[in-house]
Amino acid sequence: MTSAATRRRVGHAAATVLFLAVFTHALPAAAQELVREPAYRAFPLIGSRLAVWAVAQLHLNFAAFILGVPVFAVIIEIIGWWTGDPKYDWLSHEFVKLVFAAFSTTALLGALLLFLFVGFYPRFWAFMTNIFVTTYWIYALLFFAETFSVYLWYYGWNWLSGPRKWLHVSLGVVSNLFGIAILFIANSWLTFMMSPTGITESGALKGSVWGAIHNATWMPINVHRLIANLVFGGTIAGAYAAFRFLNAETDDERARYDWMGYIANFVALSAFIVLPFAGYWLGREIYAFNQTMGITMMGGFMSWLWIIQAILIGVLFFGNNYYLWLGMERIPGSERYRKYIPYMLSILALGFMVWATPHSLIVTLQEARAMGGTHHPLLGVFGVMSAKNTAVNLMILTTFLSYVLYRRANKLSIRSWVLTGMAVQWAAFVVAAAIVVFYGVYGYFVESIVRIGFSVYQVGAVLGAIVLVMTIDVPMFRGARSTGPIRWGQIPPRSQYVLILLAVTFTWLMGLMGFARSGIRQYWHVYGVMRDTSVDAVTPALGYASNMITLVTIVFFAFVMFIFWLGGLSERGEAGAHAPVVAPTGAGSRAPRR
Amino acid sequence: MRVPVGVKLSAFALVIMGSYTYFANSIPQIESKPPAELSLEGGDVSPAQLVKFGEEIFHTKGTCEICHKIGEKGTRAPDLAGVGARAAHRRPGSTAKQYLIESLLEPQAYLVEGYPPIMPKVDKPPIGLNRSELWALVAFLESLGGTVDVKLDDIPKTAGAPAGGGGTAAAELTLPGDPKAGQALFTGKAICFTCHTVDKIAAGKIGPDLTQIAKIQTPQYIMAKVLNPAAMGTVPGYPKGVMPPTFGQMLTAKEYVDLVAFLLTLK
Ligand code: HEC
Ligand code: HEC
Repeated sequence: MTSAATRRRVGHAAATVLFLAVFTHALPAAAQELVREPAYRAFPLIGSRLAVWAVAQLHLNFAAFILGVPVFAVIIEIIGWWTGDPKYDWLSHEFVKLVFAAFSTTALLGALLLFLFVGFYPRFWAFMTNIFVTTYWIYALLFFAETFSVYLWYYGWNWLSGPRKWLHVSLGVVSNLFGIAILFIANSWLTFMMSPTGITESGALKGSVWGAIHNATWMPINVHRLIANLVFGGTIAGAYAAFRFLNAETDDERARYDWMGYIANFVALSAFIVLPFAGYWLGREIYAFNQTMGITMMGGFMSWLWIIQAILIGVLFFGNNYYLWLGMERIPGSERYRKYIPYMLSILALGFMVWATPHSLIVTLQEARAMGGTHHPLLGVFGVMSAKNTAVNLMILTTFLSYVLYRRANKLSIRSWVLTGMAVQWAAFVVAAAIVVFYGVYGYFVESIVRIGFSVYQVGAVLGAIVLVMTIDVPMFRGARSTGPIRWGQIPPRSQYVLILLAVTFTWLMGLMGFARSGIRQYWHVYGVMRDTSVDAVTPALGYASNMITLVTIVFFAFVMFIFWLGGLSERGEAGAHAPVVAPTGAGSRAPRR
Repeated sequence: MRVPVGVKLSAFALVIMGSYTYFANSIPQIESKPPAELSLEGGDVSPAQLVKFGEEIFHTKGTCEICHKIGEKGTRAPDLAGVGARAAHRRPGSTAKQYLIESLLEPQAYLVEGYPPIMPKVDKPPIGLNRSELWALVAFLESLGGTVDVKLDDIPKTAGAPAGGGGTAAAELTLPGDPKAGQALFTGKAICFTCHTVDKIAAGKIGPDLTQIAKIQTPQYIMAKVLNPAAMGTVPGYPKGVMPPTFGQMLTAKEYVDLVAFLLTLK
């Protein structure tokens, strides 16, 4: 082991210990001081709210990254183990390297956040502690477990190779389980703040802490965040690959990072497609928990937020499709499919417009009367759930079509049933689209309670089509004749800018959603239970919030670039450790086995 | 000179974020402000000031006048004139102060004869008064025929501040009324349907469409409008003084609560 590596390791360990020390020490102190302590202290210059906001958002960005990336890193490692293809192993290691680099920053930011709560929101912190103290200990222990298993996973890569590979893969799986458990615990705190349950009127636990953990929004947020972490991890890893691609000096390097970017984006895209559904579920639970909160969120002072969100999601869909279309340029034989692009583009554009149509905007009483209600007479038709569900489902289908065309760009099936197969595939697309549109239109003629059920049919149709098309596609193109290998690395550089666009947009979107999640509590720390009586009780408008989100996102990327740059430095130092890798220049995405 | 990739990418990222930020700043900027609250904790107030604050709360945030009048009998709640004196004898063993505090925090603990149990706990949502406000309000009630002797410490620490974080305020309005019965009133005895439209229920054209009234109006406004239409202003484009001011006399307390419960479902 080099001395640099030792130093690094000691540094990581020190950060972890510091984090835990702060964590465990903060508790009794806070509780004792409760009587004498003020409810709030002011953070110098920027005030406590902005301090907590910035650190929380940064911490969340990093945490999402280090929780999201290992999920697909381990899957890719398993693929590599299965197929015996070393390039997957290389890629997985590359991903874990990024996680590793971001690990101690995450922990330090977590410790900083804790400092801020203990120091500047003492009464709030004591209140939460009274309820959640048990989970604190478990969280700390899990954090230990997670840290050490990831360390072993990363450092044991060579040691646990060959016949011991199964052990290594298990390590990856185990550290993911720890990571998910950590995520779920942290989620219990913040979902409790949104939808508190399990406590008496005076704020004490009624039964066990499970009553508070298992609140109305906990599971929806767990699922939503887990998926979003995958998307986020994918886009950030994709941005890293793009950065390396554009900086590459050899064709070999360019090919490698082109491929990495493609895989990372593929991961992000696959997870992104299911994200809206998790979002609807969360929204429904919020409505069910408290109508007022739901209305504040969708129709009240936050209504514009969803328009911005729709724009960002539109950008993500466009970006993904554009990336796939550009990617076809590196595939000989793809010319056949170019003619479809304008149609797909117009469906996306239409869907985007519908989605960005506001549902009900906040209006003054006078405006509402002038309009005859809070719905715009014309726009209102496109502003409701039915239209939006239809739009998003069609956009997902279109994106999937882009992917299918991309997949077969250089392949000529050698199956005798290829015509039938393709006909069935197209039929699946058409039927799914028809079902989506049918229920979308029908939705206008039924009660809203029935209408909510329709979205299930729409999603079912889309997912069904995806499964059916893929089940046909895989055997149909197995052993297919190739019109030429994918020329990895020969993609126009602007495609790499698209990857950056996706990463920046998704990070910003995450900041926005964080604002939405915490903003709907308005002037409550814990909704309906503990009021925010600080000077910051006003929930700011979107412009202010977006300035803040942008600033924090800039800081985040500055951090990330620095950390990635550090990673690059160590790579140069350890030249050869993991370098000899087969460049993925084989036919299709399948490299010959060793 | 070649621009380094890092610089180009950073500039690109800044442009993207810049455009999102620009857009977010160009739309209507709406803040969500916490409702105004009175805090007298630790402050020096004379009994006279306190009574004045209390009267203010009685008329505004407390929304007591939905049910009570002073100096005249409300249809659904007792006249509060002289309550400061009367309170001392309401309940054996309770002083006036204790009785008044109890009637605000636990209104159902002692029911004035002949009245239904409809008074809400005023330190809970939707009224959600905090301790300071309760203190002032009790002082005001005492001043109605009695002596003002209430101290902040007389108000239980748990009142209005369940979690030690300051008062609570309206989170959700739940009325004990029955919306079904309210709908029957709307289309029957209360004759609202003759003037108002509600989708699939009524088609009157004299007054405004109420199909989404609960969405565009606060519960407070709706409750008050039914009792005293003139006091709540006139909806532009509609005749003044047409909506009858007599519902307060015409409806019983239960009917009123049912009707409002129905109106609040219209969104
Ligand atoms: C929904 C109608 C309603 C509202 C709103 C309401 N009350 Fe009452 N109140 C009643 C009724 C009915 C009674 C008599 C039955 C009982 O004792 O609960 C009553 C009783 C009282 C009494 C006891 C009177 C006596 O003669 O013993 C007091 C004091 C009182 N209310 C004060 C208030 C104050 C102050 C407010 C505003 C913060 C308020 N109430 C709001 C309905 C209401
Ligand atoms: C004789 C006709 C008439 C009857 C009966 C009547 N209203 Fe009205 N109402 C009006 C008119 C006219 C207006 C608009 C002018 C105004 O604001 O006073 C109005 C306004 C209102 C508003 C305010 C609407 C807004 O957009 O702010 C509400 C709420 C309301 N009425 C509820 C009721 C209810 C509930 C009933 C039955 C208990 C009822 N009205 C019975 C004529 C009527």
